[in-house]
Amino acid sequence: MNERLVIARKEFLQAITNKGVLIASFIFAVWFPVFTTLGILAGTGGDPGTALGGHLANLSVVLALFMGYLFSSDAFFREKKDGTILTLLCAPVSIRQIWEGKVLGVSAAAYGMTIISILITVIVAFVLSSVAITLPWLLLLHVIVILPVYAAASAGIIGSAQLYLGMRENQLLGMGFVFLFIFLIFGLQGLVSPEGGVTIQTEVFFAVFGIVLLALGRRWAGRLSKERIVRTIT
Amino acid sequence: MQAIRAEHLSKSFDGRQVLRDVTFSVEKGEIFGYLGPNGAGKTTTINLFLGLLSPETGTAEVFGADLGSDDEARRRVGVLFENNGFSERQSAYENLRYYAGLYGMDEPEGRIEELLRVIGLSDRSSDAVGTFSTGMKRKLGIARAILHRPDVVFLDEPSSGLDPDAQRMVRDLILSLSEKEGMTVFINSHHLDEVQRICSRVAILAEGKIQAYDSVARLAGAGKESSVWIAFEGGRPSRQTIASLESLSMVLDIQEEGEGIVCRLAEEGSVPDLISALVSGGYRIEEIKKRSADLEEVYLRYVHSVEGRS
Repeated sequence: MNERLVIARKEFLQAITNKGVLIASFIFAVWFPVFTTLGILAGTGGDPGTALGGHLANLSVVLALFMGYLFSSDAFFREKKDGTILTLLCAPVSIRQIWEGKVLGVSAAAYGMTIISILITVIVAFVLSSVAITLPWLLLLHVIVILPVYAAASAGIIGSAQLYLGMRENQLLGMGFVFLFIFLIFGLQGLVSPEGGVTIQTEVFFAVFGIVLLALGRRWAGRLSKERIVRTIT
Repeated sequence: MQAIRAEHLSKSFDGRQVLRDVTFSVEKGEIFGYLGPNGAGKTTTINLFLGLLSPETGTAEVFGADLGSDDEARRRVGVLFENNGFSERQSAYENLRYYAGLYGMDEPEGRIEELLRVIGLSDRSSDAVGTFSTGMKRKLGIARAILHRPDVVFLDEPSSGLDPDAQRMVRDLILSLSEKEGMTVFINSHHLDEVQRICSRVAILAEGKIQAYDSVARLAGAGKESSVWIAFEGGRPSRQTIASLESLSMVLDIQEEGEGIVCRLAEEGSVPDLISALVSGGYRIEEIKKRSADLEEVYLRYVHSVEGRS
């Protein structure tokens, strides 16, 4: 098996067996979608199904980003903190291959949890208000293509940052990311029109922005030196 | 053939010199001990060999390759750090399977089972590593380091956390790796007794410099005939006896030890002269032994001499 896939498989298994992360991600996966969906339903003036479709598209991107962050903690930060990363750096794989394998495994778990969150949102919307979210092909494309990119981009940039930064800076980074997430989740509600559905323009924007983020994370990983990683462990 | 070679290796961190002009080599198939007090630069040296750090000056090579830039060359190397490198939630078997995959091993199941049997963990192979004791993790760490049958293995404190039985098992395993598989073993250890038993050569590092670099036999035997332990009839000798013995020309100094004294001699071949001087002086000797300096004494002598200078 390709070394990247070996790493990805291990990280995926790690992610889905980490009870702490699973509980935290599940709370976020339920709480924020339900909370914001109820807000949209109360405030919409047009077709609630279309409004919820647009809301879901935006919300799911933020959730994918957050899940990517949450699930990456084991793969990058913890391995660095306990020194396991040293053994991995001595294996016949490059830092970029390690990064790619980890990002693949972590983003698969993060994407899975994002999908669970979307399903919960759809069910909650239907149960509480009998509103069926309109699911155009664009929204399906969004779920299948855009969300994995954001989960990977988030895990990738956070992963590179965690490898690059020292332990104290990493803790600050973690807190900063949580605040950014909360800002995004509430900021989006104010910025995005509740009546607005899923459009080609927003999807193209999401796709381009997500790919740029992912590429930035990969480029950063490729420029990391082992010395930098080793010397920022303690 | 040289397996490991350091030439004029220097490294500093934030202006603090950690290694200064370190030069030594390890032959293929040799078990080499790298000794030194905490903070002497031992781990830095290993990290330089493994390519985890870059040297400021000099070179650190394994089979002529720079492991920092040569991904393929790292296939020939195994390593055990203080941290054993395991995922605590995965089983012993899954962890070894993971590393086998990283090193591109085809069908590693047989090798994994063989190693688990050797280290006595066959019956715990499906248990999560997080449930293991420190010693069990250490043994599994050694199995992981040699899983892919590397040509060179770096072991950082391999016996740390092991009970005496497990220590012996690890010693036997390391010896068989060298003798049967021709593996080069680089051991970074504080267990001087263990190093003396299994290493053919050692380097003693203190304050970032190599203080001694030789075979264990030569280092430990360096002061072999230069001191003798003597017990006299009637028990511990009096102050007056010690003072008169100190006046003998072949005696450098005397220290009390147990029920006898240790005479440090000016020359290696002066033991017979000392005995005849004692007999002609009327001293009744009950027991006399040549002192065989062990590695610990040699180590402490070098390390303390550096501390004394600084």
